[in-house]
Amino acid sequence: MSSAGIQGVAGSPAVAGKARSDFRRVIVFSVVALAVIGVAPYVLDTFMVNSLIRGFLYAAVALTVDVLWGYTGVLTFGQSAFFGIGAYAAGLIFTHVGFSLGYAALALAAGVVAAIVVAGIIGWLSFYHGASPLYASVVSLVLPIVLTQVIYTGGEFTGSSSGLSGFESFDVSMELWFWVAGGYLVLLTAGAWLFVRSDAGRILIAIRDNEPRCEYLGINASRVKILLLTAGAVVAAIAGYAFACAQMVVAPEYTGFVFGTELVIWVALGGRGTLLGPVIGTLLIDTSTSYLSGNLPFYWKLIIGLAFVIVIVAIPKGLMPLIGGLFGRRRGEATVEVPTLVEAAATPFAGLEGAGRLAVELKGVRRHYGSLKVLEGIDFSVKRGELLSLVGPNGAGKTTLMRCLSDGYERSGGSIHINDHDAARLPPHRIVGFGIGRKFQTANAFDTLTVAESLRIARTRIAGPAFFSREATLALPKAALQVIRATGLDAVMGVEAKHLSHGMKQALELAMVLSLEPSVLLLDEPTAGLTKPERTMIGTILTDLVRDHGLCILLVEHDLDFVREISSRVIVLHQGRIVLDGTVAEVVESELVRTIYSGGLHAPAKP
Amino acid sequence: MIATLLDIVTSAAILYAVAAGLLIVFGVMKIINFAHGGFLTIGGYSALAVTKLGWNPWASLVFATGIGFVAGMIIERLVVKPLYSRPLDAILATWGLGIIIGQLITIAFGREVQFVQSPMSGAIEFAGASYSSYRLVLVLAATVIGVGIAALLQKTRLGLVTRAVIMNEDLARGLGINSGLVRFFTFSLGAALASLAGALITPLSSVDPNMGVPWLVNAFMLVLVSGVSFMSLLVATVVFGGAQVLVSTYVSPVLGGLTIVVAAAVLMRVRPQGFSRE
Amino acid sequence: MIRRLKRSVLALAVCLAVPAAMAADPVRIGIPVGLSGANSVVAPSVVQSAELAAEEINAKGGILGRPIVLEVADDGSGAAGAQKAFDSLLFQKKVDTLISMETSAARNAGLPIVSRGKKPYIYTSLYEGRSCNKYLYCNAPVPEQMVAPIVDQFMKKFGAKTFFLVGSDYAFGRGMLKFTREYIEKNGGKVVGDEYAPMDATDWTAIISKMRSSAPDAIVMSTAGGAPNVTLTKQFKAAGLKAHIGNLSVDEGTAKSMGADAEGTYITASYLTTLDSPKAKEFMAAMQKKFGANLKTPNDLSVPQYDAIYLYKAAVEKAGSFDSDAIIKALAEVSFDGPRGKVQMSKQRHAPLNMYLGQVQKDGSVKVIETFNNVDPGEQCPNLK
Repeated sequence: MSSAGIQGVAGSPAVAGKARSDFRRVIVFSVVALAVIGVAPYVLDTFMVNSLIRGFLYAAVALTVDVLWGYTGVLTFGQSAFFGIGAYAAGLIFTHVGFSLGYAALALAAGVVAAIVVAGIIGWLSFYHGASPLYASVVSLVLPIVLTQVIYTGGEFTGSSSGLSGFESFDVSMELWFWVAGGYLVLLTAGAWLFVRSDAGRILIAIRDNEPRCEYLGINASRVKILLLTAGAVVAAIAGYAFACAQMVVAPEYTGFVFGTELVIWVALGGRGTLLGPVIGTLLIDTSTSYLSGNLPFYWKLIIGLAFVIVIVAIPKGLMPLIGGLFGRRRGEATVEVPTLVEAAATPFAGLEGAGRLAVELKGVRRHYGSLKVLEGIDFSVKRGELLSLVGPNGAGKTTLMRCLSDGYERSGGSIHINDHDAARLPPHRIVGFGIGRKFQTANAFDTLTVAESLRIARTRIAGPAFFSREATLALPKAALQVIRATGLDAVMGVEAKHLSHGMKQALELAMVLSLEPSVLLLDEPTAGLTKPERTMIGTILTDLVRDHGLCILLVEHDLDFVREISSRVIVLHQGRIVLDGTVAEVVESELVRTIYSGGLHAPAKP
Repeated sequence: MIATLLDIVTSAAILYAVAAGLLIVFGVMKIINFAHGGFLTIGGYSALAVTKLGWNPWASLVFATGIGFVAGMIIERLVVKPLYSRPLDAILATWGLGIIIGQLITIAFGREVQFVQSPMSGAIEFAGASYSSYRLVLVLAATVIGVGIAALLQKTRLGLVTRAVIMNEDLARGLGINSGLVRFFTFSLGAALASLAGALITPLSSVDPNMGVPWLVNAFMLVLVSGVSFMSLLVATVVFGGAQVLVSTYVSPVLGGLTIVVAAAVLMRVRPQGFSRE
Repeated sequence: MIRRLKRSVLALAVCLAVPAAMAADPVRIGIPVGLSGANSVVAPSVVQSAELAAEEINAKGGILGRPIVLEVADDGSGAAGAQKAFDSLLFQKKVDTLISMETSAARNAGLPIVSRGKKPYIYTSLYEGRSCNKYLYCNAPVPEQMVAPIVDQFMKKFGAKTFFLVGSDYAFGRGMLKFTREYIEKNGGKVVGDEYAPMDATDWTAIISKMRSSAPDAIVMSTAGGAPNVTLTKQFKAAGLKAHIGNLSVDEGTAKSMGADAEGTYITASYLTTLDSPKAKEFMAAMQKKFGANLKTPNDLSVPQYDAIYLYKAAVEKAGSFDSDAIIKALAEVSFDGPRGKVQMSKQRHAPLNMYLGQVQKDGSVKVIETFNNVDPGEQCPNLK
């Protein structure tokens, strides 16, 4: 795999060809699938045609579960609710107002709008900075429960538990509905396939792998999830609408959480994060249920339950990768692809209106955990072109200070301004917008993304991703390119980040942060675990950044030699307070600092 | 007025008994056990078995606790343990377990509603009002469960170790605590408590294979807003249980049924730490 | 293979019983029923009723010389399962008719499929009424038939003036109590409370508190079957309130299992096991003979199934063919004198029925208090020809 990756750097034609072949494959797949669906009603009996109409629409909803859960890591039990909203929009309007083409269009619009509104509310409830994924899952469970109760209480208006039936609908044959439902599913699957493999689709995986890091790369993960939920809601509502029109019945069952959990079961069994797996899983299980549940009513559900638990425990990727193992492996290697690196047109550093004044200004910043004071009365300011090192023994509050600088929720009191913007109570992705770029101590951003993909994620805020394709080039700022070329990262662009050496991971982290084009760079132990030559190189890069690009760099570092070599200013923290703020020389000569470190001045860097 | 007050107290007690087992599992393992409803059902059917065997109805409490503990031990080893590192998958697996438990019970006992002999029935005079005596017994039972858990956590070595794992599992492991064993014990204890709660609530109603489901989501919500503290759980059950009773009594039982889930969801959004202090 | 074997064994048996004429294709009767889900408790008794009817008819030469074959399918007691069951029966098993007791959600989900399959469908469950479709007939009670006996008893016999209505929040609960309220108010009574609990609720504390404070003369209950029904009865008993109790959703079997808790409760039914008409006794004896120890006690939900198969036979014979339109026309015109008395679906696709007012005794048995003959189902489907 690695050698292919390195050679793949060579040029763009391969990549462009790659992207084209993706597109071609989708078109071939769609045409074949549509042809099969076109012929199917003439071959299958009425029973199968009717079953598959429902199966296609269920599978469309299962796709949304897969994109949300399999790709983005949002476990949802509530997609059934959106299906129900679409179905009830049709059922209610056709029953109480009547049926005409105009009303049909109105019902579709009403269903989609209602789904968007509900998804917006659920998204607001579920996704916010610091929300636990567990909470989102439970909220997704609450939605269908509440909705079902509303329908029950609706009495004759909603048909209560009996649902609505006997309303007029499109007077067309079941064959036509088969084509409509099948066509919808094929187009959705094709669209979703292009989307998840596109540059934008990589963002979903980045969120699944490491949501906090996405926030620090300026991506509003909550918004991405809300948008995704809303899109999924629309897809499900349209499926529900088609269901009500074709089947001429709506029932609370279709909005309920049992259906919602069945969708998750189908996706899990089929293979989450594979798109085709959930579709095949849904069609197979739903159809076989017709055959088997009559013969073994209780055992069938037991078998499904057992299969589900076994798959979750033993084969979490589901059955699709097992089935598709034969040709899947070939495809797996073929997906290593590498865009050409080019230099980005210099976008002005964010927040440059603060140029010449203060890059960072802290006043009375505090951080308390209960009665434990980790930071107290921190006041200092930094100008552009300064390279400030924060030093101090373990537990002095250095990393906490970094955290407060990059996340408005972190501090307990005091004010922070970045390039004259008030950090207020803003989440990290907003603070990134003020010009902050934070490099973390631990370098393991996105496990399943390649180097190139990771760098592109970091460019999302500035460049914006392509939604249904992959760009053949990756434009990065000069500083990031320097790091990449100097460390040899450009030879491993197609390698998954988790396979890199420690030093390479650190370099990738730095390159990602520089890709944000920050004006204030926060670095937490950039040299930890690096070899001496690597350390020297990083030091050179940092001083160049300050000199050539006018950056302001704040550095937390244990390696005091390194600090001495590159800093223009040093702040010493001890027990949550600033004890010294001065030049390198002042700090080195300070008796106080000697006491604090109590001989540990040259202690080896902590990993 | 007195009756409403008693309703609030007894409803809170029932909710506390039902949610306690879920809370301890959540505290230690950081997962929501979706099989909790299944364990409640196991408790109900344990009580049914006691009735069918003709034992003293009070024996069902001990019997249900034992059955629940054993079921918890088996499930922890087979299903939950392999999923320590995948919490969302653990939730799904316990969901699947809930289905399996429900179907097994259906196959073994039938789908129909059945009855457990109540240890006591009828109403007693309490503060000038006639009130169901068994509901009052449940307040006592919930108190015993609460005090029992507190004693277990505060007074025993096992409790100390468990608290350490709740606070910081990595650190606890670093200190040589066998956190796997703590998880094993906790899950089994959670299952035992759920089963006990199931046996406690059946005399109020009846047993059927889905009896646990209506309790499940309310219990999730109470646990989520309680963080990992049993004191917070007490506050949450009184506040939300009270709200539920008041809405049911003065507005509509249908809205009352949704009070806990909706109020808790909104509370969590506005105040993510819920009722816990930090 | 096995099915074919079964079929040929059956055909063989039929040939032995009635020669020559029975070699014809069987009449397939589809029975979508809730083998799993909420209806799974009562479903076996429904299937048994159908089996007895089929056996009796086959022993006498079948329908127009063709033997009956029953095709049972599980509808999961809900809409999604019903769609599968109806599709499978109509388009795979190619049944000639559908006759079954189901939930309202399952019936509603099946109706559009029946419309496409164009086969007569006899619905045999008591329900909230007003389900109308070109292919649909109903031969079980609707609110118009169930409510009056209880309310009349309370108002006329006991002089009750104030009523409290309590139900589960679902179609049947709401439909029944809506009619009950109208009926009480029409007759000069007063409804002092009208409360619904969620369908799966088993805690009736708040509603019982309201009952206590409004102190009604009588209470009419219409909850979901199973747990809600039982818990309401038990918790009401435990609360120690005094009022006349009418329950529109308790069946004989449930009453039996509740025993003393339900003592004194009034119920209405079109069939009770304690009916002492010759036809009812004959039916019970035949059921006992056929099923012996495996007998699921016949009840108000299963006996209409038995009646309906005979009604279908009569309609086919009157129509003289298996033509759907002719059978549908004939179904309103034929009658069957069975365990419930004479049943004819002559009123807007529904049947005037003999209704029985019963009272639950201490041992859980139901004593017939009064009989109401030919109770009219009212205006169910005025727009259907």
